[in-house]
Amino acid sequence: MDIAKYLIESTEEVFNTMIFMEVSTEGCMSEGKESIFSHFSAMIGLSGDLMAMISIHCDAYIAMDIAGAMLCTEFDDVDDDVKDAMGEVANMLAGGMKSRLLDDNIDTTLAIPTTVMGKGYSISSPKRGNRVVVPFDLTQGRFFVDMKYSMQ
Amino acid sequence: MGLEQTIIDATKDIFVNMIMMGATPGTPYQGKGEALIDSVTGMINLAGSHSGLLAIHLPTQAALEVSGSFLDLEIEELDDDVLDSIGELANMLAGNIKAELDPTGSSIQLSIPTTMHGDQYNIERIAGTSSLCVPFYLDDGDFVIELQLT
Repeated sequence: MDIAKYLIESTEEVFNTMIFMEVSTEGCMSEGKESIFSHFSAMIGLSGDLMAMISIHCDAYIAMDIAGAMLCTEFDDVDDDVKDAMGEVANMLAGGMKSRLLDDNIDTTLAIPTTVMGKGYSISSPKRGNRVVVPFDLTQGRFFVDMKYSMQ
Repeated sequence: MGLEQTIIDATKDIFVNMIMMGATPGTPYQGKGEALIDSVTGMINLAGSHSGLLAIHLPTQAALEVSGSFLDLEIEELDDDVLDSIGELANMLAGNIKAELDPTGSSIQLSIPTTMHGDQYNIERIAGTSSLCVPFYLDDGDFVIELQLT
């Protein structure tokens, strides 16, 4: 089980095949207790043999760009469509993780996505458990894929 | 038993037995993703026969008091111990609510808790879910338990 590799593969798969945006990454940040400062997050839980929370964090304008590329439109505000689209991106990403984990005989169930936005907030993870954060670059800017997990 | 009562019982149980603070429930209401100002939120996902989110929203001051009482420490600023204990609180609350919704213990699973904090943020309601919020009053402060369920 290589969570960082699975996250990179799943994210590239979703962006290449569903959103049609080029993403690149230099790999995960040091696995640790990063606190991420964010303006928009979409997150979804995984439970079962492995319990996890998978999130995408980015600035509001990146969320609008990603949602716009996915829905072939342009957004000038983070409206319900943007939130739904980003929730769906989190959902697809979690689906990619679920199938990769299943290949390792780790069976998980997806919860449903939630979005959070604000003028500035930080997200932190429990001390027990593991965390992998992978920054991805788009031409427009950067977003982070964050997975906190612990084995059952 | 209604969901409101399930939330109230689960919360009172944890506050009385684990945190050693009294928490008096107020009138439940439907959440609409109201902005949270200078707050701390602990949240955890539920998956399986019931899918959704359980969150506890506390103003920062109340978060300090609750985690201080929970950890039996004097806490003056928002640090990792506070964030960790609020996440753990969400985990315990979800565990209690799960026990009520799913007596066999096999049809609902929990994810791991996440904590967020900030000056202003909104937790959006998940599409297709209802958001039930129950406010609770402490001697000096308040907090809200939110349960979003499909």
